[in-house]
Amino acid sequence: MSPVSKRDPRLGGGGGGGPDGELHTVMRGLSLQAPMPTDTGPAEVCPVCKSSRYLNSSLRFLVNPECYHKMCESCVDRIFSHGPAQCPIPGCRRTLRKHRFREQTFEDIQVEREVDIRKKVQAVFNKREEEFEGLREYNDYLNDVEDITFNLVNNIDVEETGRRFEAYQKANEKEIEENAQLAQQEKVSFSAMQKAERQQARERRDAARREENDERREVEENKRDVLNRLASGADAETVAKEGQQVQLKKRMDRQAATERQRQLQAASDSRNGSSNFVVKGLKAKQKAEPEAPIDPFGGIRIASKYFTLQDHYVWEGIQDTQKDVKHIAGGYDVRDYTHRSLCAAFSGLGVFIADEMTERDRATQDSEAIGTVRADIGLKDSLMADPL
Amino acid sequence: MKFMIEDLPVLFPYPRVYPEQYAYMCDLKRTLDAGGHCVLEMPSGTGKTVSLLSLIVAYQQFYPEHRKLIYCSRTMSEIEKALAELQALMKYRADQLGEVEDFRGLGLTSRKNLCLHPSVKQEKSGSVVDSRCRSLTAGFVKEKKERGEDVDLCIYHDNLDLLEPHNLIPPGVWTLDGMLRYGEQQKQCPYFTARRMMPFCNVIIYSYHYLLDPKIAERVSKELSKDCIVVFDEAHNIDNVCIESLSIDLTEDSLRKAARGANNLERRITEMKETDADKLQNEYAKLVEGLREADQARDEGAFMSNPALPDDLLKEAVPGNIRRAEHFTAFLKRFIEYLKTRMKVLHVISETPPSFLQHLKELTFIEKKPLRFCAERLTSLVRTLELTNIEDYQPLQEVASFATLVATYDTGFLLILEPYESDTASVPNPILHFACLDAAIAIKPVFDRFSSVIITSGTISPLEMYPKMLGFEAVVQESYAMTLARRSFLPMIVTRGSDQSQISSGFQTRDDPQVVRNYGNLLIEFSKLTPDGMVVFFPSYLYMERVISAWQKMEILDQVWKSKLILVETPDSQETSLALETYRTACSNGRGAILLCVARGKVSEGIDFDHHYGRTVLCIGVPFQYTESRILKARLEFLRETYRIRENDFLSFDAMRHCAQCLGRVLRGKDDYGIMVMADKRFAKKRAQLPKWIGSALLEADANMSVDQAVATAKKFLKVMSKPFPARMQDGISTWSYEQLIQHQQKLEGLKVYDTDNGEANGNGRHIHGDQIMAEAQAAEDGMGIDDDMDAAMMDLEAGRAA
Repeated sequence: MSPVSKRDPRLGGGGGGGPDGELHTVMRGLSLQAPMPTDTGPAEVCPVCKSSRYLNSSLRFLVNPECYHKMCESCVDRIFSHGPAQCPIPGCRRTLRKHRFREQTFEDIQVEREVDIRKKVQAVFNKREEEFEGLREYNDYLNDVEDITFNLVNNIDVEETGRRFEAYQKANEKEIEENAQLAQQEKVSFSAMQKAERQQARERRDAARREENDERREVEENKRDVLNRLASGADAETVAKEGQQVQLKKRMDRQAATERQRQLQAASDSRNGSSNFVVKGLKAKQKAEPEAPIDPFGGIRIASKYFTLQDHYVWEGIQDTQKDVKHIAGGYDVRDYTHRSLCAAFSGLGVFIADEMTERDRATQDSEAIGTVRADIGLKDSLMADPL
Repeated sequence: MKFMIEDLPVLFPYPRVYPEQYAYMCDLKRTLDAGGHCVLEMPSGTGKTVSLLSLIVAYQQFYPEHRKLIYCSRTMSEIEKALAELQALMKYRADQLGEVEDFRGLGLTSRKNLCLHPSVKQEKSGSVVDSRCRSLTAGFVKEKKERGEDVDLCIYHDNLDLLEPHNLIPPGVWTLDGMLRYGEQQKQCPYFTARRMMPFCNVIIYSYHYLLDPKIAERVSKELSKDCIVVFDEAHNIDNVCIESLSIDLTEDSLRKAARGANNLERRITEMKETDADKLQNEYAKLVEGLREADQARDEGAFMSNPALPDDLLKEAVPGNIRRAEHFTAFLKRFIEYLKTRMKVLHVISETPPSFLQHLKELTFIEKKPLRFCAERLTSLVRTLELTNIEDYQPLQEVASFATLVATYDTGFLLILEPYESDTASVPNPILHFACLDAAIAIKPVFDRFSSVIITSGTISPLEMYPKMLGFEAVVQESYAMTLARRSFLPMIVTRGSDQSQISSGFQTRDDPQVVRNYGNLLIEFSKLTPDGMVVFFPSYLYMERVISAWQKMEILDQVWKSKLILVETPDSQETSLALETYRTACSNGRGAILLCVARGKVSEGIDFDHHYGRTVLCIGVPFQYTESRILKARLEFLRETYRIRENDFLSFDAMRHCAQCLGRVLRGKDDYGIMVMADKRFAKKRAQLPKWIGSALLEADANMSVDQAVATAKKFLKVMSKPFPARMQDGISTWSYEQLIQHQQKLEGLKVYDTDNGEANGNGRHIHGDQIMAEAQAAEDGMGIDDDMDAAMMDLEAGRAA
């Protein structure tokens, strides 16, 4: 699937213009006009001045991301130092600037170009997995992005894809910015972490070496000590045994000490892991959810089970009012009225008057008893208040 | 011979049993009962395999669970030997029990060894056979045939489908040869018969790789159940096998080939789009759904499988940006191009996977996640495209597994880029080593999956090193000494020459002419006194060459020549096998020969020098690894930081296990005898690291000798050995008959009763300890002095024993 065969025929005109011109120039710039430079072999010859690496081992080749034609450094200096000029490769009429020339990173120029395109795409389509509902959606998104990139790389429907690209960019400007910042933060923290880890590894290595040296020195000392004591005429066997014991004891001590130190370090690491480097494994910060409207009843829906309010009632009394500008302008809604009257009509349902009556009668009979109880309570209260 | 171990009746196919064999079986049973892993060291040549098999088969047949045995060995010849042992054992059992048990034992090896297809089996290289076989047997080829296309199929493979799937081969034990013969008779493929019958076998015998190499293990060993008993025999090198199975080396050439492979894939995709776009669409749809094809596991012809991925990841759907085939090839190309760029750097780089991934992301916008799915996606694509010439895609596959591994593991791996082959080279030839540093990664699935894993070898000291390195807990760790009726091998450490100057192959002194001359004298003396064969081990090829040329100049070789033929091992395996053959001829016809070889070479492992093929083994220098290797340095650092194993401890452990392997070459049975000489002053301090059976035979007086002393001792030893030694002298000491075994068991029983009476029985009191048995046998041996004036009876060779 070579880009040449599948090139979009509409691309020839390549009209960018307008406010979004920059992107279009980028896209156009990234599309390849001339056939690819074919020699990628080790015998490298500058296509412009024909000087080869064989004769000049310090030859450096540069490319310009406008057209990706390769030429040697001296040619670039010669042709472009007086300002923008046309690409000297026959058939390529692009205007190139010197400052955009750079060394080629990848051997395959196609990949070089693809990576450039990806850089642009990645800068815009930088959604993160956490933002999606599920893995499936995220994968679909990745697939779409890849489709766009693939089209751009292989010059399929460049116009259309470019439009989609820009539309997306406009629509999501803020999120893109946020995600870019997040990514930047992550990168910084990652490199800080790496650095810290390297540092720690170095320290550990040094410590191990020191430990080994210490041990060796101690063994030497011990040996010398034993020899000295032997020279001073002590019993050979006991001296040798003692020497061994001393050495063994020292080694045990040292092991215990290192173990303790390690535990201490581990403990302190777990306590304040961020003392000298960045905490790892932090989840990216969550965006706050938009606040829901206030619900005073705490979720309880108040609706009558006896009636439902209709939008329209055929009733003469309100027919005129409904259309009267004087009423409507003031914010009066006939539905409020109908609702209220329906409420009034049904509000008696579920209430049984006979029961209520007997209830009331009993209440009046008991009222005296209740009164005396009240008085008692009042008395007690006053009594208790007295001592104070 | 039939005896009981606790409640388990064991049928042992020989009339006598060695005490250490009995102890070994007791400990094995203890492990199986407890359900855990164990490390056992048993001296070479004491019938390890047969005791292992007879105990486990007895265990299988006696208890109702019928746990399957998976026996892993290292080389083809060891696999064949084990199969033959098993066959003999089953025959004995059938004779004893009076009925043939329903039992199946199969061996599995590569397609190359088991192919019957008339044209495919002519191929020399294993990978060619594999790929040609796949092209004849893969599922889609068959589908094509059914659609009426004209494609070749393998008749041997197809015949299998006509048989009952659980009864492809009658019960019994099948050696590899037997399988081939049966296959030829019935016109059925032995390789696939073995593969498909694996779930229905009682015993499977195959190579380590089928269980350890994650690329193969997932395909071959997936269906084995949890209660299988897994045995790794000759396991002293198991950590290196684990590491190698996960390490990948990439060169510029392989990258170029991989890039070509990616381009081919791309072309095939375009072709397929024009002819058969549905298939690609189907694949795409499947990937969207995140369905791993159900029949994938059964696909025996699969191209490659995933190297050690966590299970949860395997269930996840492939990331969206490599779902489409063309996106994926572009992705691969970009990755390969990136690697090529990295190769251009002219200084050594070592970096961790996370920092590699970070750089990769900055440069090419390849994220970690799709990279992880690389291997799986490639497999799926290759299957969809129905590619047959798979060997062309080998380098691409390597890159894909590299991608998957680098994105999966943050620790335990290191990337090392070496632009030059050696320090002095001026033309860059970059190699990117993706080195696995942690042996536990590859073997972890095995320990997790199976309840009993047994690690055993002749030389696996120090035992506690292995659980540490491989990350497991051992229920039983045991090392057995060798019970001998006479001292039949003589280990010696020679630290000085006859002129009393110290000898060492250490870096500072190795080119010192005096040291070289002393080594030369040692060689001359021993070549004079040793009957028949003698084997000499050097630490490295380089050192061997230097010493030999120095000896030539000193006219030492001329003197050796008088008494022995001199043969040299070379890195070329064909030359070496020729040298070995000549060596054996010379030993057999009485001329005698010296084989000069390297401690880490082919000869040092797997080739036995039994009886007259090796009477003396001479270890010149401690076989340390080449410590300047960057991979080794990285591994040492990893071991220090992760497992708290110190660099020197590991290096010395590694050197000594190789040394022990070399020494063990000459003693292959109880009727064998030999001299073991370690010639380096540094050996004197490393005595404790020798396996127990060698260490205990090394007397204090023999641990620090000069050349002339060693010669005198060796002469005396050979004089004793030259006396006839009838087998009955061994009775009751180094071999037990049934009555003696019963006696021993009763004695232990009595001891135990006594223990319980005194209330001293601990938790393990119920079990018979290997240690106890050994101690007792040792005592018996010490008690009986060697009778010097014994009758000149005929020496009764127990050839069958020398397994």
